[in-house]
Amino acid sequence: MSDADRPAAPGRRNVLRAALAASAANLAPPFILSARGEQPVRIGLANPLTGTYAAVGKNELAGCELAISQINAKGGILGRQVELLSEDSTSGDAGTAVQKSRKLIERDKVDFLLGNVNSALGLAMAQVSNEKGILHIVPGGHTDAITGATCHWNVFRVCNSTQMEANAAAQQLVEKAGRKWYYITPDYAYGHTLQAALEQAAVKVGASKVGADLSPLGTTDFSSYLIKAQAANPDVILFLIQGDDMVNALKQAVQFGLDKRTHLAGAQQELESLEGLPPEARIGAWVFEWYWKQPGVPHVAEFVEAIRKKTGKVPTARTWFGFVSTWSCALAAAAAKSLDAVKMAKALSGMKMPPEVGLVPDQAFYRAEDHQFIASLFVGTAQAGGSDPEDLFNVTRVARGVDVAGRVEDSPCKLVWPS
Amino acid sequence: MLQLVLFNVFNGLIVGAFYALMALGLSLILNLSGVINFAHGGFLALGAYIAYSLMPLVGFWGALLVAPLLTAVLGLAVERVLIRRVYGRDPLYSLLLTFGLAYILEDLARYIWGAQSVPYPIPEALARPLSTQFFFLTGYRLFMVALVALAVAALFFVLGRTRLGMRIRAGTLDLETVSALGVNVRVLRNLNFGLGIYLAGLAGVLAAGMLGLQPTIGTSLIMPSFVAIVVGGLGSLPGTLLGGLLIGVASGLATVFMPSASEAIIYVMMGLVLLVRPRGLLGEEGRLK
Repeated sequence: MSDADRPAAPGRRNVLRAALAASAANLAPPFILSARGEQPVRIGLANPLTGTYAAVGKNELAGCELAISQINAKGGILGRQVELLSEDSTSGDAGTAVQKSRKLIERDKVDFLLGNVNSALGLAMAQVSNEKGILHIVPGGHTDAITGATCHWNVFRVCNSTQMEANAAAQQLVEKAGRKWYYITPDYAYGHTLQAALEQAAVKVGASKVGADLSPLGTTDFSSYLIKAQAANPDVILFLIQGDDMVNALKQAVQFGLDKRTHLAGAQQELESLEGLPPEARIGAWVFEWYWKQPGVPHVAEFVEAIRKKTGKVPTARTWFGFVSTWSCALAAAAAKSLDAVKMAKALSGMKMPPEVGLVPDQAFYRAEDHQFIASLFVGTAQAGGSDPEDLFNVTRVARGVDVAGRVEDSPCKLVWPS
Repeated sequence: MLQLVLFNVFNGLIVGAFYALMALGLSLILNLSGVINFAHGGFLALGAYIAYSLMPLVGFWGALLVAPLLTAVLGLAVERVLIRRVYGRDPLYSLLLTFGLAYILEDLARYIWGAQSVPYPIPEALARPLSTQFFFLTGYRLFMVALVALAVAALFFVLGRTRLGMRIRAGTLDLETVSALGVNVRVLRNLNFGLGIYLAGLAGVLAAGMLGLQPTIGTSLIMPSFVAIVVGGLGSLPGTLLGGLLIGVASGLATVFMPSASEAIIYVMMGLVLLVRPRGLLGEEGRLK
């Protein structure tokens, strides 16, 4: 066997060189001069990466990552670079979400906490972040309580409350679908509050409930629900379920031909769900919390382009939630000129978002009294395909967040600040 | 009201037929090898995704034919490399192994095909209801029930009339004696596992046409199948079939009266069966060691 046949051995000299290079790299000063050996600012994200909400969780993560790279390109937070630590909270296990949040706060010493898609997990995390006094932003958990009955001084929420979604959706449902509503509602916090909010909104627009059924989260077969709903002869069947449940239910309803006998619609709809449906099932009147086609609204096109470059797909409302949440951390620190959670929370209360972060037609801001983000909601109908294969929603009206958010005096939220 | 109940009984039979298909595969493996295959749902998802990837090349019918076979081949390989090692050990080993495998398969699907649901188109002709009155009776669902019936008939034929089937049945009763009589038990168990996974793959392809295709598609369907086995009786394939149909009907009826209990009802049923008739409806006494 000649030397040429032998696989190249690392060789003593090469190993030594590599070791030397590695140690030199460790000794080399940090790339960012302003950092002066300081630790980077850390943002901790505990969000679903597995289970039912994996798809939306991953989109929120993509939004966070884009924001991080933008923030770092602009000099970081208070002159320090920013680093994102992402943990899988699972889709439905509050214990894991709490444990991951504690790990991020106690061991990784994050300065900000983000999460969660699942309302129940978001509520559990808020308890931890409040106890630890960490600024916490909930990108996409909708249940009212987060900025309502159990609001905290340190917790802010970007996505809409279920009440806002219901108020934005109600008028269109009456116009496009009719007045007799049948609800198919997911049996947990989000579904209960959304149905209650819709029932309240229905009174104002003259609609009534002809029936309602609770479906356990993760129901796959909706045929028996659809049979029962159809028997009540409603003008519209409202699908309040989300994620995979929404895909399963709508697909079955259209195969049953129910779209030709009654209307199929609801309040919240997401691009992730519509993309998972066959074209003939992309139907109905819905509300999107953010949409990537906003002609004339500044900076939206750049945002869409940046996400397309990063992920190969257009941003969804989830991507936007993650993006706004992460930028909010940087803006809060910059305004407070400090990483002190109380100072940052005070600065973020009532803060108006710059247009390149807000990315909606209306002036977006955090309501000071309950820390709810108020932006725009996109009312319209699902479509099989528009000018672009990813254009699956036809926006007919933009509802202003301030108009659908309800009066702050009616909110059960009473913020208690640390003395 | 009566109509609603009748509709739901009928509909429940359709849904139950599907559970039965999955449960039969599980039951086959459990009976011969004593392995509770938690990864069955993972194989189901894999079968569905393989069909999804093949469809542009071979069409709906081609995918329906080929995907379960490919899944079965994968099952044979997994049995050969992993499952085989835990035969005859404490059931905890196989439980842990297949439990972990279930997570790996689910994440594999997520890694390859993405976390988001993908659309799985079915032929136009099957995608509509056959009558306006019985709108839940679509061409696809009828086709599915027919296929399940065919698969069950074929399975019982194989088990009842062929040499392989005879050996599987004999092995189920007394593996040591079968082995002593010169039957290669390793090959027998391998083929049996493959047969079970074939049924999982078939169930996956069928489910994808009816439900959204997402990595968790198998996870949500696996528990009803376990319940079907327990209700029907461990060790009895006809029992498994009956169990599947029963829980389908029970779940459908629960939706009429108390929808939020439609999931819990099957576990209540299982509890009742275990209390009153622990061996299951058609199970033989003393089968469970």
